[in-house]
Amino acid sequence: MSEHNDKCPDCRAEADAYEKLVRETDAVKAEIRRAAATVDWDALPALIADRAAAELPKPAARPRAWLAPFRLTPVLAGAAAGLVVGAVVMYFALRTPGPRPDPGVGYFASGEFLDRAELEQARRNTVDYLEKSQYMLLEMLDSSEQGPVVPPAIRAERARDLVQKKRYLNAQLERYQMAKAKAICDQIELLFRELAQVSDELPAAELGRLRGFVEERQLLLKINLVKKELQSGV
Amino acid sequence: MSEVPRNREAEAAEIASLLERIQAGDREAFMTVIRLYQQKVFVMAYSILRDREDALDAVQETFLKLYQKAGLYKPGNSFQGWLLQMAKNVSIDSYRKNRKKRREWETTTPLDDIPVAVEDRAGDSAHSDLRIAFSRSVETLAERQRMVFVMRHYNELPFNEISAAMRISVGTAKSLHFKAVQNLRKRLSPVLGIQP
Repeated sequence: MSEHNDKCPDCRAEADAYEKLVRETDAVKAEIRRAAATVDWDALPALIADRAAAELPKPAARPRAWLAPFRLTPVLAGAAAGLVVGAVVMYFALRTPGPRPDPGVGYFASGEFLDRAELEQARRNTVDYLEKSQYMLLEMLDSSEQGPVVPPAIRAERARDLVQKKRYLNAQLERYQMAKAKAICDQIELLFRELAQVSDELPAAELGRLRGFVEERQLLLKINLVKKELQSGV
Repeated sequence: MSEVPRNREAEAAEIASLLERIQAGDREAFMTVIRLYQQKVFVMAYSILRDREDALDAVQETFLKLYQKAGLYKPGNSFQGWLLQMAKNVSIDSYRKNRKKRREWETTTPLDDIPVAVEDRAGDSAHSDLRIAFSRSVETLAERQRMVFVMRHYNELPFNEISAAMRISVGTAKSLHFKAVQNLRKRLSPVLGIQP
């Protein structure tokens, strides 16, 4: 190499540069050694130990070996903390049902919706009333031909129930859509009022009169027609 | 098993035993560890601080830190590397603190009170200028390059010890050393009288 350096000025300059660098490095190293030589190394350990005893609490103990698997690196600890925070946030987010209405405001629905709901309720109640009335009339008509099917006391009780039900229904029948149903229900009501008064067996003449009333006014037929209209929602 | 690893294992076991005793409050064990490593810590501190008193303070701080953190040493890792890492951190903190103080002192002290002739440069030659330039160039190296350079040349540590101290691979330590030398050469080229 030295032969090459003798011939090559570039390499020689480079080698000189590194030699100077090494020389400076050695000089600094020598400076450090000189500084170190002036230190009293025998006294220093005692000095530091005294300071430690005077200034510091007892050294921290090494974490217990059985805890080692649970010791987390900062990254894992951060991830674990993130999971816990996320879980807590999700818990509270999912636990709370959507916005609750203000208790002072109460339930709100449009007038149109309420109107339609009331009409539907009126239709169902009227259909129910008409069906029960129909059974009642049929039982009464059967009784007239083959003797009493239902004991008179029970019949009177059912009649009273239907009169009661009609009273409740009256407010719903006031709507113009229920006009036809109201007309037939009123006629039936008259009949049931009479039946509710009689808890004994009806005499044949009375039965005949009532039968005539039903047939004359075609109550059973009208009930069927109105029922169908109400069920089809017309 | 070869002799060297066996020696290392024995040394590691001895250190582990000493550290356990330090945790138990054994003053003698603490002093033994100081005796074993004080000069190496001093070299590290001095190479950063370039001042004897500051370096001695850093040595004391480093061992006080060791006294408190003795339980945190992980057996199997290089103790010397761990300790020198601690010394490096203490010295850098001290350097920053001192630099701030020095700046404050220079800006608040009247001009007449500042000793102008800090160094006797009468007999100084280009050689002394080179020494100053060299020291400054080492200081301005990137931190990892400077640490590898200091540990390699001033502490005279082998690359495997440097890699353990800096928690880098031996290859990275060698690469950083190469870059440090290249940068020093580049920065010192005007003083050395060579092409950059």
